[in-house]
Amino acid sequence: MDQIVVGMADCRIAEGGGQVLATFALGSCIGLAIYDPQTKVGGLLHFMLPDSGIDPARAKANPFMFADTGIPLLLEQVCGRGAMKRRLVVRAAGGAQMMDQEGVFEIGKRNYLALRKILWKSGVLLHAEAVGGIRSRTVRLDTSSGKMWLLEGGEQRELVAGAPRQGGN
Amino acid sequence: MAYRVLIVDDSPAMRSFVRRVMELSGFDLAVCFEAGDGGEALKVLNSEWVDAILTDINMPGMDGEELLRRLSADEVLRAIPAIVISTDATANRMDRLATLGARGYITKPFVPEDLRAVLERTLGDPNA
Repeated sequence: MDQIVVGMADCRIAEGGGQVLATFALGSCIGLAIYDPQTKVGGLLHFMLPDSGIDPARAKANPFMFADTGIPLLLEQVCGRGAMKRRLVVRAAGGAQMMDQEGVFEIGKRNYLALRKILWKSGVLLHAEAVGGIRSRTVRLDTSSGKMWLLEGGEQRELVAGAPRQGGN
Repeated sequence: MAYRVLIVDDSPAMRSFVRRVMELSGFDLAVCFEAGDGGEALKVLNSEWVDAILTDINMPGMDGEELLRRLSADEVLRAIPAIVISTDATANRMDRLATLGARGYITKPFVPEDLRAVLERTLGDPNA
């Protein structure tokens, strides 16, 4: 099965099944996966920061860097390929408490809060999440089965939609 | 199916929040009645049939507990599933409300996903 790697500040869409979308080393960044089980259209976004207001020029060049510009675009691209918002299974991972190079804390938490706010405004709710903590995560979305796999601390498990919330932040 | 629901809360903001969570959770709302306390809720139920009631407990006028008591005393109305949304989560209170027929219970503050989980447990998964 083809694996499509989603880099940092990147977003990829897959349709028709048969592909796996993967993103590695999510620290304070968040990987947001959305999937329509009926049309098998899925998308995976790897955003880094909550708010594009700090650098509009960069947001224009790469909207996937920020939650507020990346998430609406992810939804638009997936729904533009026949997925229906109402059917979307929405899962997120990342938002860990890492210290970035400038020593600024709380980016993970702010990313998570931005995610919740933007999803609410966009009219979709989360079905599963693995957020917070201090560990790096890797996620894979299998667009054939709709299953999402989470690798965290050397262990792999399925991020099941509808499972109880983890608490996280 | 399209649901007819009644949301009982003295806060209009909370009523519209609950309504939006129902819609985002995939529940197709045919009609959504709102009431500011138990008395208003009973007035609505006098003339309208609903599939589910979501009610707060602490309200001015008739509170949610009294509303549930009246519903459970009524042969017809006791069949409507009632979900309680309240800040009061003492075991005592929850037990009492369960005996009065509350089918679900959610404690404020909550995130939309928590309410969706209670709704799906009580009313069934709308997308199933």
